[in-house]
Amino acid sequence: MGKKMNISIIKSILCFFLVFALSGCLGAREINDLEIVIGMGVDKDENAGNILLTAQVVKENAVGGASGNGGGGDDEAYWNVSSKGESIFDAVRQMTHKTGNRLFISHNQAVIFGNDVAKEGLQEYIDFFLCAHEMRPAALILVAEDRASDVLDAKPETEKFPAMNIAKLVKTYGFTSHLYKVNMKDFALWLMSDTTAPLAPLLTIIQNGENKEIYVSGMAAFKNGKMVGKLNHDESRGLLWVLGEVRSGVIIVSTPDEQGKAVLEILKAKSKVTPEIKDGKIVMHIKIKEESSLSEQSTTENLADDKAFEKIQKSSAEVIRQEIMAAFDKSREFNADIFGFGEMLHKKYSNEWKTLKDNWDEIYPTIELNIDVESKIIKTDLLKKPAAPKEGEK
Amino acid sequence: MFGFIYKIIRYLSLKNKNMLQNTESDKNNSEPITPDLEKNLEVIKGIFRDSSDVTIHEFNFGHERKFKGALIFIDNLANKEEIHKNILQPLMYGVLLFRNNVDIDFTKIDSIRENLISMTDNSKVSMISDLLDSLLAGSAILLIDGSKEALAIKPGKRESRSIEEPGTEAVVRGPREGFIENVNVNIALIRRKIKDTDLCVEKFVIGDKSKTDVYIVYIKSIANPKLIEEIRKRLKRIKIEAILESGYIEQFIEDSPYSIFPTISNSEKPDKVAAKILEGRAAIMVDGTPFVLVVPMMFIESFQSVEDYYARPFFASIIRVIRFLSYIISTLGPAIYVALTVFHQELIPTQLLISIAEGRERVPFPALLEAFLMLFAFDLLREAGVRLPKPVGQTVGIVGALVLGEASVEAGLISPIMVIVVSATAIASFAVPAQTDSGTILRYIYLALAGIAGGFGVIMGLLATLLHLASLRSFGTPYLWPVVPLDLSGLKDVFIRMPLWTMSKRPEAITWDNCDSYSQSPDLMPSAYKKDDNDSK
Repeated sequence: MGKKMNISIIKSILCFFLVFALSGCLGAREINDLEIVIGMGVDKDENAGNILLTAQVVKENAVGGASGNGGGGDDEAYWNVSSKGESIFDAVRQMTHKTGNRLFISHNQAVIFGNDVAKEGLQEYIDFFLCAHEMRPAALILVAEDRASDVLDAKPETEKFPAMNIAKLVKTYGFTSHLYKVNMKDFALWLMSDTTAPLAPLLTIIQNGENKEIYVSGMAAFKNGKMVGKLNHDESRGLLWVLGEVRSGVIIVSTPDEQGKAVLEILKAKSKVTPEIKDGKIVMHIKIKEESSLSEQSTTENLADDKAFEKIQKSSAEVIRQEIMAAFDKSREFNADIFGFGEMLHKKYSNEWKTLKDNWDEIYPTIELNIDVESKIIKTDLLKKPAAPKEGEK
Repeated sequence: MFGFIYKIIRYLSLKNKNMLQNTESDKNNSEPITPDLEKNLEVIKGIFRDSSDVTIHEFNFGHERKFKGALIFIDNLANKEEIHKNILQPLMYGVLLFRNNVDIDFTKIDSIRENLISMTDNSKVSMISDLLDSLLAGSAILLIDGSKEALAIKPGKRESRSIEEPGTEAVVRGPREGFIENVNVNIALIRRKIKDTDLCVEKFVIGDKSKTDVYIVYIKSIANPKLIEEIRKRLKRIKIEAILESGYIEQFIEDSPYSIFPTISNSEKPDKVAAKILEGRAAIMVDGTPFVLVVPMMFIESFQSVEDYYARPFFASIIRVIRFLSYIISTLGPAIYVALTVFHQELIPTQLLISIAEGRERVPFPALLEAFLMLFAFDLLREAGVRLPKPVGQTVGIVGALVLGEASVEAGLISPIMVIVVSATAIASFAVPAQTDSGTILRYIYLALAGIAGGFGVIMGLLATLLHLASLRSFGTPYLWPVVPLDLSGLKDVFIRMPLWTMSKRPEAITWDNCDSYSQSPDLMPSAYKKDDNDSK
């Protein structure tokens, strides 16, 4: 008995030590030895076939905290290191010739692809970012109107790091719903889909005197991994209406008396899309339910009554309808299924889908939309009627 | 390998035991007292040849001063005034009040005790060794010529400190009295809280040289008889020269001497000890120390304070949770910091990582060494501050705060975040005083594991600690009760403190059979004045 006990104790102790061999991610790295990357840009190099990788690295000594004696000042807190390589991983490792330390990309906020790279196709460039175990699937994917390295160079006014600033611009898309936050995981899933076209926010640089300002001008649409076109703000929101991703935003309609504008703030939006195949024709029934508040008006007319509401609601529904149609028209133009209609059909008509799938490119432009928008104003914020001279109501 | 070490220790302890027995047999005082006073005094004088504080007073008494007697006592142990007033005076003058031919045998100790001695605390001794024991315990010994027995009389009070608020367990609300070094006073303090005939006080004398009084205090009708029997057995097993503090007893009777966790609790507060005795525990009181041992102890007791029960339950529950958190911070704080900054930088929010990186920019040491240095400095400061007299202790505190907090950061030796982590750890470690020792050891172990294997190492260490805790017993009670094994009614007083009127049971793991009779009325919940109650009268 005693001997048996002893053996079992020895066995359990051995098992305990074996557990240490199982760990996969051991390996200590002191923070001092890390080059914390917060943003990366991918461009094409002048030499054909080569790529130019730009990494935005945090300069610890220039961040400027309590102990930054003498430092701080105008010194930039970041360092944009660039290196050339035949592939991204090659370029990442080439970078150690400049940094001395291996790049630490777990905190990478955004990966920005240059226009030339995006047009050529992201498929071959994105693989590294999906493979690398340090990379987070939540890192944002963006496309630059021109070169990605220029975007990372534009120094923001309130943020210390351009990459952080860009991430902030995209993450707060809900204020306007004019663009959509796309991260690594979303993009990869879209890429794997047969029909759905991936999207990514599009960054433009505006030259404002000496300063460069970063501006999100819309969304870039991809097809088969290649960038095929751009959606402007309204078209992007048209897309978001259908996807049900509109968080908030502003709808401007003219007042019933045509004298001025009524401005509505979107409070809530819901969408429901039901595909239908009728006589060989595909019809997408899109039902949008939207609630908004009357936030601003530029006439003296008191809009806060049922009659005026009804008219404004009607015209705001029309605005929404137009936005959706604009987005759809644009997508028909470059024949990319940005709405994911293909996937919806696949779910509902899995039998028919087998035949539809093969010539989806021909079918997509023929899809008909049946849009039903229900827009409702539920409050007028703080004012019951506009602050205007009394003459209006004699 | 452990078995081998154990055998060596066992062998050594056995050897010691044999040696003790040898020295014991050398002494031979087990002679009876003879009726010849001169002979007895000769023996005693021989024993105390070199002790000048032993007073031997010979006197004659009786009407014709024809009886001889001797009084032996140790100066200052026995109160001289009391001896004069209550022993010598009655014997020498009180006797004269009797008629000459009164029928009292002045050579019999019994008749003297019954007729003359006006002190209650006395006992007869018939052996020289017993006589010596009583003498050393502070009694005055009355020897009468012609009597085979002597009378040991305990005169008056002994010198002791007054009852003060205990230094280790200050309270905001609650009684401010604390135990003192005199065990008799301590027992009286308990008696004053529990006026019950079932409160038992069993006496043991432990220590060959110190002959320390040790008492087991418990309530007969509540405590598990097996527990009391086990305590008796373990106390009787102690063979040691001297018991100077209750810590000696603790180390000889605890369940797992190799564990870093204490399995016997101690307290300086009578109300706390009384509460525990009422729950079915037993207190072990040792003469000469204000620290009273209480068994069995459960891990959860470290997180309970008497004030939890004096304050209303809501705030008490919040404080309870804070204590748990602070124990976690105090043991795991530096370990988690090191694991995160050395192994799992991806888990730190980006902004925080950048600030940490900025703070560590000039630090030349690895984070592990940095943490060790700071913890060592903290423990050093604490130890130095405790031992020094108060005015100097403050100086140490100021120097420490300046050197550690300011200068080391400014010099770039330590990162500011490490200072924050270590000070948070230090503050948290004082919130659970009962586990300060184990917490300090665990802190270093976890820190080392974090430095070796990161979060994985910390988790392994936690697992091992948990397994160890779950395997501990304190006098038959599972250490982690009521969590392991799970007892729902016991959980009322673990993570939160339920109102007192919901706790109608004693802890089952301690009292076993007697846990139900705690309260007779089924509904103790207080309520506002109700009309129906009044009407029905």
